Amino acid sequence: MEDKKKLFEERLKRYQGAIALAPVDRVPIAAGANYFAETYSGLTKQQFVYDSSKWMEADKKFVEDFPEVDALRSGRIWGPLHDIVGYNMYKLPGRDLPPDVQFQFIEGERMKADEYDLLISNPGQFLLERVLPRVFNELKEPGSMRAHVAFLKAGMAQMYLAGAMKQRALHLQNELGMPQPMVGVMLAPFDMLADGLRGLKGIMTDIHRRPDKVLEACDAIIPDMVNAALATADPLRRYPIFMPLHRGCHPFLSPKQFDTFYWPSLKKAMLMLIDAGYTIRAFLEGDWSPNWHHMRELPKGKVLCDIDGPGDIFKAKADFGDCQCIAGGLSDSLLILGTPDEIRERVRKLCEVVGRDGGFIMNGGCCIPYDAKPENYRAMIDATLEYGRYSDRTDFEIQCDPNPPAGWKPPKAGVITPWEVKKAELGHIYGDEELIKGPWEMFERMAYNWLWAWTW
Amino acid sequence: MAELTALAKALVELDEEQVMELVKQKLDAGEPAMNIIKECNEGMAGIGKRFEDGVYFLSELIFSAEILQNVMAELEPHLKESDQKAESRGIVVLGTVKGDIHDIGKNIVATLLTGAGFEVVDLGVDVPTEAFVEKVKETGAKVLGMSALLSFTYPEMKTVIDALKDAGIRDKVTVIIGGAPCNEQVREFVGADYYAIDAVTGVNISKQVYG
Amino acid sequence: MSDSVKALYEERLKRYQAAIALAPTDRIPIAPGSNYFAEVYSGFNHQEYMYDASKWIEADRKFIEDFPETDVLRTTRVWGPIQDILGFNTYKLPGRDLPPNVQFQFIEGERMKPEEYDILIRNPAEFIFEYYLPRVFDVLKDRTSARSYVAFLKAGMAQMYWNNMLKARAEFLQNEMGMPMATMGLVLSPFDALADGLRGLRGIMIDVHRRPEKIQEACEALVPELVNSVLGAADPLRRYPIFMPLHRGCYPFLSPKQFEELYWPPLKKVVQMLIDAGYTVRAYLEGNWGPNWHHWRELPKGKVLLDIDGPGDIVKAKEDLGGYQCIAGGLTDSDLTVGTPEHVREKVKFLCETVGKDGGYIISGGCNIPYDTKPENYRAMIDAIMEYGRYGDKTEYEVQINPNPPEGWQPPKGHVLTPWEVKKEEIGEIMGDEDLIKAAWEMFERMAFNWTFGWIL
Repeated sequence: MEDKKKLFEERLKRYQGAIALAPVDRVPIAAGANYFAETYSGLTKQQFVYDSSKWMEADKKFVEDFPEVDALRSGRIWGPLHDIVGYNMYKLPGRDLPPDVQFQFIEGERMKADEYDLLISNPGQFLLERVLPRVFNELKEPGSMRAHVAFLKAGMAQMYLAGAMKQRALHLQNELGMPQPMVGVMLAPFDMLADGLRGLKGIMTDIHRRPDKVLEACDAIIPDMVNAALATADPLRRYPIFMPLHRGCHPFLSPKQFDTFYWPSLKKAMLMLIDAGYTIRAFLEGDWSPNWHHMRELPKGKVLCDIDGPGDIFKAKADFGDCQCIAGGLSDSLLILGTPDEIRERVRKLCEVVGRDGGFIMNGGCCIPYDAKPENYRAMIDATLEYGRYSDRTDFEIQCDPNPPAGWKPPKAGVITPWEVKKAELGHIYGDEELIKGPWEMFERMAYNWLWAWTW
Repeated sequence: MAELTALAKALVELDEEQVMELVKQKLDAGEPAMNIIKECNEGMAGIGKRFEDGVYFLSELIFSAEILQNVMAELEPHLKESDQKAESRGIVVLGTVKGDIHDIGKNIVATLLTGAGFEVVDLGVDVPTEAFVEKVKETGAKVLGMSALLSFTYPEMKTVIDALKDAGIRDKVTVIIGGAPCNEQVREFVGADYYAIDAVTGVNISKQVYG
Repeated sequence: MSDSVKALYEERLKRYQAAIALAPTDRIPIAPGSNYFAEVYSGFNHQEYMYDASKWIEADRKFIEDFPETDVLRTTRVWGPIQDILGFNTYKLPGRDLPPNVQFQFIEGERMKPEEYDILIRNPAEFIFEYYLPRVFDVLKDRTSARSYVAFLKAGMAQMYWNNMLKARAEFLQNEMGMPMATMGLVLSPFDALADGLRGLRGIMIDVHRRPEKIQEACEALVPELVNSVLGAADPLRRYPIFMPLHRGCYPFLSPKQFEELYWPPLKKVVQMLIDAGYTVRAYLEGNWGPNWHHWRELPKGKVLLDIDGPGDIVKAKEDLGGYQCIAGGLTDSDLTVGTPEHVREKVKFLCETVGKDGGYIISGGCNIPYDTKPENYRAMIDAIMEYGRYGDKTEYEVQINPNPPEGWQPPKGHVLTPWEVKKEEIGEIMGDEDLIKAAWEMFERMAFNWTFGWIL
């Protein structure tokens, strides 16, 4: 336990140090999405997605074989919860797909073009009344008991999952000495609109036909998205909040459109997380090179950016590497199809160029793919240890803080039924109002935040 | 006790159909509603007797009240203004004490009292001390029944009795307590005159008081 | 858990289990089931106790420190926040609808119409969901509203949150205070479920005369559902009895004949099924059960702990049930709240000499220790037991802990709202391992169904 604690601190210090652009002993090996680790122990993708009791076993096997890894993440998708609500935006392995095919997002329009005003005026109500009935098959019959029970079970399953994830995190920390690369998640407001609600075709039409509505909508959903992210983030602020960024890449939007539609609301949301005392791990999916210089506008050393395969990581280093830490460098194809020698050569070059002054984390392009060859993964590690060393130790004070910065205030919380409404219904309250109000608001917020997990 | 009428007998036997049939016949024959009520009350007294003898249980008491209610609904249009204030055996004020909202037992007592010819002033549940005192004063009732299901009400009952003393009417009214957590020890503690172990006992005590 | 706490836990559990099993113990256990006094002894008012789960552990600690001779403590049943979430309208709660120091109260009412018997009998799940819940949850008034959906989501979250609190409390009691639970899991007798929760007292008493055969059929239909729902909440290690508060089996609600025809057969079935699943049962015989309690001799010996209420004659209970089932009780509400320590002491001495003579007896109030118990009376009860209630130096009894049901045991077949076959049909072809998907589906369906049943108790 004592040495696991030391190991945990050493890894966390290295990871946090790199993100903060501080000197570290070596280049951290810290993938965000390590799909390879999920199935390395021999689990099918279906088992990983459905059977939470298998997670700790899988983690243990992986960490035993690759102890040089510095962070490991929790899975994101849990099949039983999808089944309970009849979530229809994903195809899952073993259910709609063969058990060893990875889960897949189904594109579609879940918000109509004429519904912008509803979204803008009351995002939570809108999600519940318009969007969820479209994405939850269990809501087919409005008002039915089946629909209600789906929500009841979802509440239970969400807490059950939270319990399993907590156990897993404790196991990683206490038994394996392993930090997590990120905890909690938030989308770019534009992506939320584009991926989850309007669909690609819809959003591309909207930026021409109703650009003002797009802007207004992106702004309107920021507070709710920030609150939802904070509710799932690490309470000790040790780990970054995860932001997978989709539609900011070239050539989806022109640089001018990026500047107009994508960036302002994203920047605002990111700053709110940073103000709350968090760092961010942003996956710049696709080729972000025309746009990533914007990351310089954010506080230095607060946003770890994963550079995807199509992006040129050497250019990224040149463009903003002095301002934010970057991760990546090994493409999917190299990890899956390449040879250990090729990996070794690539890692050497990455360490020499991108890793030269620190601020670099070894990783695939936003993920380690399921089908990465174990010998290639091993070669990546060995080469990082050989070429990625800076010094003997990391002198960085671990950041661990249960409290937000002084004076920080959360954005206004969204709720479906504010306490004032409930209070009026109760009529005269005989005793201590605060005792009744406290739990009422706590569960209102928990439920409200939960709504935001179902649009991507 | 005199021989029961056919209607009263049917009620005692809980023969619902027969009761309703007889009531209808009597109404059709022009019999005054008050006479029918009187017969029913005799039946209710018979039911109370059977309860006392251990032949009937609460399910029978409650069911008989249900039948009686149906009879009253039938009679309603035939009752005259003056009938409402018919001569009663005496007034009994009833209520469940402050803080307690249980009324099953109290309602059974009310039904039996009515059946026995008393005028019942039912204050309901969660009754404040002052309401008991004022109602006793206002009606001049010689019997006050307090009901409780929860044991925290002991001091409440005591408070009511103390308030009766303060109002100077304690010696004018007989106080009966009843309900699951009551017993002789509780009666002594609160200073009531009687503890009624069940509804029929309560009715019998009321009869004694009014002679 | 330190060794001394562990030893204390085992000693208490052994004493409690042995007394229930009618085996010799070192002394009469001090093991009330519903210890309301313990809830408020530390100075919290009723509202705090009902709303603020964080207060429980503090309250337990204070109580056990001052009364360490107590052998078991129970966990609470009512938690305000989840009732607020659903707008559950059958209770008045302290601090909300009542002053903060008044105890919570059940509101009598008819929540099932007489013509609905056949629906209940055909499919209890459908009845509960479609007819009963909309009457007791105010949030279902507008069933298609966002609010009513969110209420169920919140309820699922709150239920799990509460379960975690209860679990933490049980672990605290066991590992820090060495204290076993008096009971775990609650189930009603089928007749009471129908009488209290659904038809209401007036309704059921009329049904007893107008449609007794419907009562019988409905009780029969409720048996497997009630058993399944409590097995989901009972102690997984089978150490503690399952709690059954029995209301309407007392004299004079039903005649002995009505009791035998309507009340007892489905109750006996439920208790037998729980015993078959490896559990003991703690039944509160509320009110006076004198004319009916001899029926408990029909169940396996030493499997049912019977709490005798104030109106019942416990000396007679011992005569009627001694050697068959353990009994608990002896002190009335009034002994404890308005009596004196001397009076309590005398009464306990008498109880030890009569009811406690050959074991099979647990000291307690009449189905509860009331909120307003005087601390000096509770202390007097304990001291008198220590003086007059001793049998030997130690309890020789093997503690019963078993995570598994007896061999060959099968849970009763009950309903769920959406069986796997229906969901499977909707999914269409399943490309991988069906069992992985099915197991999780059924687990949460069962949890949801059990949860629903909890609201008629």
